[in-house]
Amino acid sequence: MFKNHPTLRYILTRGSWYFLTFLVAVTINFFLPRLGPSNPVDIILAKAGGVSDNATRQKEESYLKEFGLAEVDKAGNVLRDQKDAPIRTSAVKQFGNYIFMSLKGDLGTSFMSYPKKVTEIIKNAVPWTIALQLPAILLAWIVGNVLGALAAYRRGIFDKVFFPLALGANSIPFFAFGMLLVYLFGIYWHVFPAVGGYDSGLIPTFSWGFFASVLYHYTLPFLSIFLIFTGGQAIGMRSMCIYELGTDYVKYAKWLGISEGKVLFYMFRNAMLPQLTGLALSLGVMIGGALITEMIFSYPGIGMAVLSAIQSNDYPLIQGCTLLITVSVLIANFSVDILIGFLDPRVKAGRGAR
Amino acid sequence: MKMFLNLFKSPSFLIGISLFLLTICLALFFPFFYHIDVRTMSAPMMPPSREHWLGTNHMGFDMVSLLVRGLRSSLYVGFLAGIIATTVGTLLGVYAGFKGGWQDEVITLLTNIFVVIPQFVVLILISSSMKEGRSLTLIAVIIALTSWTWSARAVRAQSSSLKSRDHIALAHVNGNGTLRIVLYQILPYLFSYVFMVFIIQTASGIISESCISMIGLGPYDSVSLGTILNDAMRNEALSDGAWWAFMPATVLISMIVFAFYVINTSMEGVFNPRLRK
Amino acid sequence: MVCRNVLKIIALCSLCALAAAGCGGKKQAQTGSIVDFPREKTMYLGGDQWGEPNTFNPLCDWPAWPIHGKTDLLYEPLMVFNSLTGEMEPLLAHSLEKTPEVISVVLDSRARWSDGVALTAEDVVFSYNIGKNYKNAPMNYGAVVDFISDVTVEKTPDSLTGGKTQAEKIHFVVNKKGRNNPLIVLDQLQAVRILPKHIIEPMLQKLGGDFTAFQKDKMDKDPVVSGPYNLESYSSEKIVLKRRDDYWGNAAMHGGKLPAPQYYIHPIYKSNDHFSVALQQGNLDVSMTFIPRIWMKEKDGVGTWYKKEPYFVPGCMPLMLMNFTRYPLSDKNFRRAMASAINYKEIKDLAISGYSPELKPGLIMPYGIEKKFFSEEDAQKYGAHFDTNEAKRLLREAGYKSIFDKDGNLVQMNDAKGKKVPTLLITSPAGWSDWEAMVKIAVKDMREVGIDIREGFVDASLYWQALPFGKFDLLMYKPLPEATPSKPWSQLDHIMSARNWKPEGERMNENQGRYNNPKGKNYNRAIDSLLIAIPHIRDEAELVKAYRALNIIFMQDQPALPLAYMPEQFYEFSTKHWTNFATEDNPYAPPQPPFYAGGVKMLWELKEVK
Repeated sequence: MFKNHPTLRYILTRGSWYFLTFLVAVTINFFLPRLGPSNPVDIILAKAGGVSDNATRQKEESYLKEFGLAEVDKAGNVLRDQKDAPIRTSAVKQFGNYIFMSLKGDLGTSFMSYPKKVTEIIKNAVPWTIALQLPAILLAWIVGNVLGALAAYRRGIFDKVFFPLALGANSIPFFAFGMLLVYLFGIYWHVFPAVGGYDSGLIPTFSWGFFASVLYHYTLPFLSIFLIFTGGQAIGMRSMCIYELGTDYVKYAKWLGISEGKVLFYMFRNAMLPQLTGLALSLGVMIGGALITEMIFSYPGIGMAVLSAIQSNDYPLIQGCTLLITVSVLIANFSVDILIGFLDPRVKAGRGAR
Repeated sequence: MKMFLNLFKSPSFLIGISLFLLTICLALFFPFFYHIDVRTMSAPMMPPSREHWLGTNHMGFDMVSLLVRGLRSSLYVGFLAGIIATTVGTLLGVYAGFKGGWQDEVITLLTNIFVVIPQFVVLILISSSMKEGRSLTLIAVIIALTSWTWSARAVRAQSSSLKSRDHIALAHVNGNGTLRIVLYQILPYLFSYVFMVFIIQTASGIISESCISMIGLGPYDSVSLGTILNDAMRNEALSDGAWWAFMPATVLISMIVFAFYVINTSMEGVFNPRLRK
Repeated sequence: MVCRNVLKIIALCSLCALAAAGCGGKKQAQTGSIVDFPREKTMYLGGDQWGEPNTFNPLCDWPAWPIHGKTDLLYEPLMVFNSLTGEMEPLLAHSLEKTPEVISVVLDSRARWSDGVALTAEDVVFSYNIGKNYKNAPMNYGAVVDFISDVTVEKTPDSLTGGKTQAEKIHFVVNKKGRNNPLIVLDQLQAVRILPKHIIEPMLQKLGGDFTAFQKDKMDKDPVVSGPYNLESYSSEKIVLKRRDDYWGNAAMHGGKLPAPQYYIHPIYKSNDHFSVALQQGNLDVSMTFIPRIWMKEKDGVGTWYKKEPYFVPGCMPLMLMNFTRYPLSDKNFRRAMASAINYKEIKDLAISGYSPELKPGLIMPYGIEKKFFSEEDAQKYGAHFDTNEAKRLLREAGYKSIFDKDGNLVQMNDAKGKKVPTLLITSPAGWSDWEAMVKIAVKDMREVGIDIREGFVDASLYWQALPFGKFDLLMYKPLPEATPSKPWSQLDHIMSARNWKPEGERMNENQGRYNNPKGKNYNRAIDSLLIAIPHIRDEAELVKAYRALNIIFMQDQPALPLAYMPEQFYEFSTKHWTNFATEDNPYAPPQPPFYAGGVKMLWELKEVK
């Protein structure tokens, strides 16, 4: 059956490699935080510290049991060694527990935001991250590619002015740009709000007032991502278009007298392919990215959640977030592979010839 | 060789290279003209004056001295990360592209794994288990380890298209082993491409370092352009109008990266004839 | 061609939409028409909640604002400690009586829960005995049993009704077999919150007394509370409290007045500078964050307790602990040399924007309520002051020799036997900017006199582990930041007590520097005897003598290096929307933010800016 369906075979082989990657990544993301010397329960206890020895000991035991970090005997008491330190469950055993629970849909309870569940924290944070980046990335992609194509097509003065500008814009670290925007428009000229997702005096509802406030607060973060991303896209698209413009088939088509519009259409389609690839990859990394933008504008997204999780050794939250990032990046890459498989005739032909 | 001479005729290349050399000169030779002192503390947050050309930061250190030190550190991190990432990425990419088949799949697997793990996760975890903590070298190594995937992909694409060329087939027929073919037949063709990849990796290494320092995960004992920006943010330099604590570092980073990008574009223009006009 | 025009139109339209939204949003925010919380009735505060609110269950270890710490807006303790006057002020209870065996208060008979049920001694007994009756209670409730062995109730004529009715007098028996310390019992009176027994006990019974399961309940939907505000709503961006107009204290303690703000909102920002910008722009009314150079914001209406330096009232002491089990920190002369090498004025000016009055030697603050225990002549005679020559002399006489290179940089230090002294590291969490600045200045100053020491910045998680297990050479630390009735005794106890002495690698909750090893040959019995005796001394003159003796031992031994004074909290406010905050000119409340312990009473005195 597979011999007659090269496309299906292609999807399945790629898919299984991606699944393998997923398994390896999940394993690494589990064991990596545990390689460090610090112990999350110690951190929690130390922060509360200085109360009484008995209370601390009781608390240590209850947390170790709750998080599955210590060996427990039949009566439920924590086993201790000669130095009276609790005996820890091995990382492998913890891993087994983790897999078992995740398959049931329970990603665990966060250590530092006890007793909040990891799924709840992620559920609250992801919309912010996506809302912050998705519109900016999409719009920047469209506008950037259009401008890049224009620059390639028109050349001349437009190109000579525009190209260095775009290159310069792309050189500024995006967070520095964001901070500058905040300083100029948020503080110095008090035009846009400097922090927050929406007005503090509002509760999120489906009302025009709320959306207006969100848009108002979104302006600066949006601009900080949009302007720089546009520059990058424009440069890439410009190179691709210039490359395509010089190809033989374009020269041949023009020489044959085919209308300019039609030629442009095919040219754009070919140049678009790597750009689409880039878009899919950017969307994939979106979940894990923009940590600094979230920091500067105080958007409570995934980036900030992961950073604080790592600093407190909050294993379940780290695992949950990295799981999410892993899945989104792999899905994006997988979609890109499929997309290229379908859209790029060269790949299809190559596969068929095998 | 002739190709390289053509480079010097391109105006954008000259601009890029001069910017780059200017920055290198600043980092290496400026200390001869200006007394670099990162230990004396004067009044904090002072605006530019005769004594302190770019003012002082929140602890009273001279900004110019900090900037020069920071420039050196950032360049060091960028280049080290660029070299490591390009080397690893190129070797793996060439091998994968050339061999194809299951070797290609395995290397793609490896690439994807590295793409998937977030940079700062690796950074914190490794640095917290090392006694000396985060040094510039460690940061450079980790940036390299998390960004080599880009060069691997780029080089792999190029090398797999080279695979079907005639001279490779000839080398096969002559009985050359894979390593010989890779080293003598493929790499020379890729050299210009790899060099451009190196430039981009270095530029992105510099930006990555500044991002990492901004999060607060920068080097413990050294000054870098990123830590200067981080200090400015944490000490609310901007909201007090102390632009000198913030702008010069930004300008320097942008300038270096811009120089790299311009060099890269002009090289592209020279090496890829279709891009010439 | 067509494509281009179409795209141009799209771009133009989206820009217009953005601009319209911008203007619209701004106008609405200013006129406050569609805002859910009218600005003139709302108070915004910041600095006490970092990260998403996790739970509002008062029996969890680290609930969110306004449950954690001493924010007494929802659940209230029996009394409140006024850090300015040093008095315990009445809240749920009054008429405090102290003896070394028993501490008693009279419960205010007017106290009510928000569901109308009267707050009685049963609730008090229940709350204080939670640690006794249930396993895995949160640490602050669980520790009570070490200090208080028994809580008994007796009826007594109610002074509030002229003796016509009976009120409940509650006796807290000091646990003689436990800590045997009435001062700590006083601490509990102003920290332990009274919880509604009729709500919580049934919940616990339903779960079979399993605290871990009980802690999963967030208690965020109309909790039954006794305080002036209740939880209205919350999200990952803010927490909203709404005023309870039927709060029992309005009639009982404020003559029927209501607290001025109807809504009390804590926006959740990611870093200090966000709160600072908001305060400057009038979007925040009160903040607890560290704001450098706050005098530059005065023109924007930002105020502090003092109008000039030090702007804040000192309340605690950031210091560096020293690990006595490590060489050469066990050498007294070495430690005193370190104390003499540090330029404390530089630390004050450069690291904390001058927010501290002049530092004096010793663990007792020469300001405020501790002033009476401080002796200037002792400080001059026994204390270490900033004096580089003195530092060098001490090192020289102890036989240390420091080797410098031609640029004046320190290369290494050798001891009297000629062996190289190991480089010492000051462990401090990376990213805590004011601590980082203090450490850097201290390192610079100490290296100048020849002490081989370096910054040892680590990630916060490693820092919290190093502290109790003694895995450090020196460690930056701010013990006991809050003002409590047991200070300055608790500060001295926390640094010098050897009652739980354990070697490095085992957990210690106080004296993490392992000073005064009871099995060592230099064990000073006087320290522990003084620490045990002081809480029982009732004569003022005797008390002063005892504190002076203890402080002299500290100054002579120098087991820790105090660096500056810092306030209990940073009390900053904006006068753009509310005025009449307590200040040095108007000290009707202590310098605490108006949601914290003694500062809460400010809420009834604040006035809107029209």
